[in-house]
Amino acid sequence: MDGRIIVITSGKGGVGKTTATASIGAALALQRKRVAVIDMDIGLRNLDVVMGLENRIIFNVVDAVKGKCKLKQAAIKDRRIDDLFLIPASQSDNKNVLSPKDMVQFGEKLRREFDFVLMDCPAGIERGFENSVAAADEAVVVCTPEVSSVRDADRVIGLLYARSITPKLVVNRIIPEMVEKGDMLSHVDMVDVLSIELVGLVPMDDHVLISTNTGIPLVLQKKSKAGEAFQRIAMRINGATDLPIEVPQSQDRFWKKIGSKLGLGK
Amino acid sequence: MFNGLFRKVRGNKTGSGEIAKQRLKFALIYDKLEISDDTLRNLHRDMVEVISRYFEIDQAAFRLDIHRSDDFSSLVVNTPILSAKRGSPD
Repeated sequence: MDGRIIVITSGKGGVGKTTATASIGAALALQRKRVAVIDMDIGLRNLDVVMGLENRIIFNVVDAVKGKCKLKQAAIKDRRIDDLFLIPASQSDNKNVLSPKDMVQFGEKLRREFDFVLMDCPAGIERGFENSVAAADEAVVVCTPEVSSVRDADRVIGLLYARSITPKLVVNRIIPEMVEKGDMLSHVDMVDVLSIELVGLVPMDDHVLISTNTGIPLVLQKKSKAGEAFQRIAMRINGATDLPIEVPQSQDRFWKKIGSKLGLGK
Repeated sequence: MFNGLFRKVRGNKTGSGEIAKQRLKFALIYDKLEISDDTLRNLHRDMVEVISRYFEIDQAAFRLDIHRSDDFSSLVVNTPILSAKRGSPD
């Protein structure tokens, strides 16, 4: 195999990197790809709880990188989705136990075992970021429609370009009603400011919290708009590049549209 | 209020918030004790080894958990026993 390593990053914390990693990873595995998701937030692991695999950890990414265990031993198989594997972070080390050079070597091993490897990058642009990016071929930048998030995304995009990686953008937590009222940055504004290619738009969705509460993948929750959006993102990453990007819409707007089609005023 | 009433009508189903709380309790026990994955792994290996001297056990199904009641944490070992070994181990 000659897998692709994709880093999921943002600069700012709390914008949905871990949810995006878990969801895109699960969606790719459902499309019959062999996928590893790796928690690179050494010392503050969370991808394990989000995926409901916190009780299965025996080895972690530091063990695997340092050769304390085999790659296969550190890769925990998902409970519900075949072909999805989690390599958890170590909780007792700090980010300096790994180096970008270690990660490049580790990346070679990963590429041989998996079709897709998603690196869940920690917030910030220090060592954890360096380690997460070191082996990556591609990058997805997650950004919410907030000034702080967009500013940090811009900084990270610059750092990725400096490493010859052309990132793609996921806009997360869009509230269509607010965008329509003009009280939230639209994805068009964000693409304009960041001048970067879009790979998907994800609406704000209560199912995200329910998914992390229960540890059941978002993409398996029926009727989750965010889950559907992440599935389409995974399809685009997996080669369906001409799949149109759906813009999240408010219910209100939906009825107005139907109304106008029926010729019922504005 | 209506939420509570609604929940009663539905038969007091546990919401995902309650599941989150239960899962967090377990996760935080491990974090607070600051047991490294290394320690846990060694303990796991040693216990399997000791028990295997006396019983034939299903090593893959062997489970090591830490539970917490109000005042203390406890180590709970759960393993299917396939058969007892005959004779003394020595």
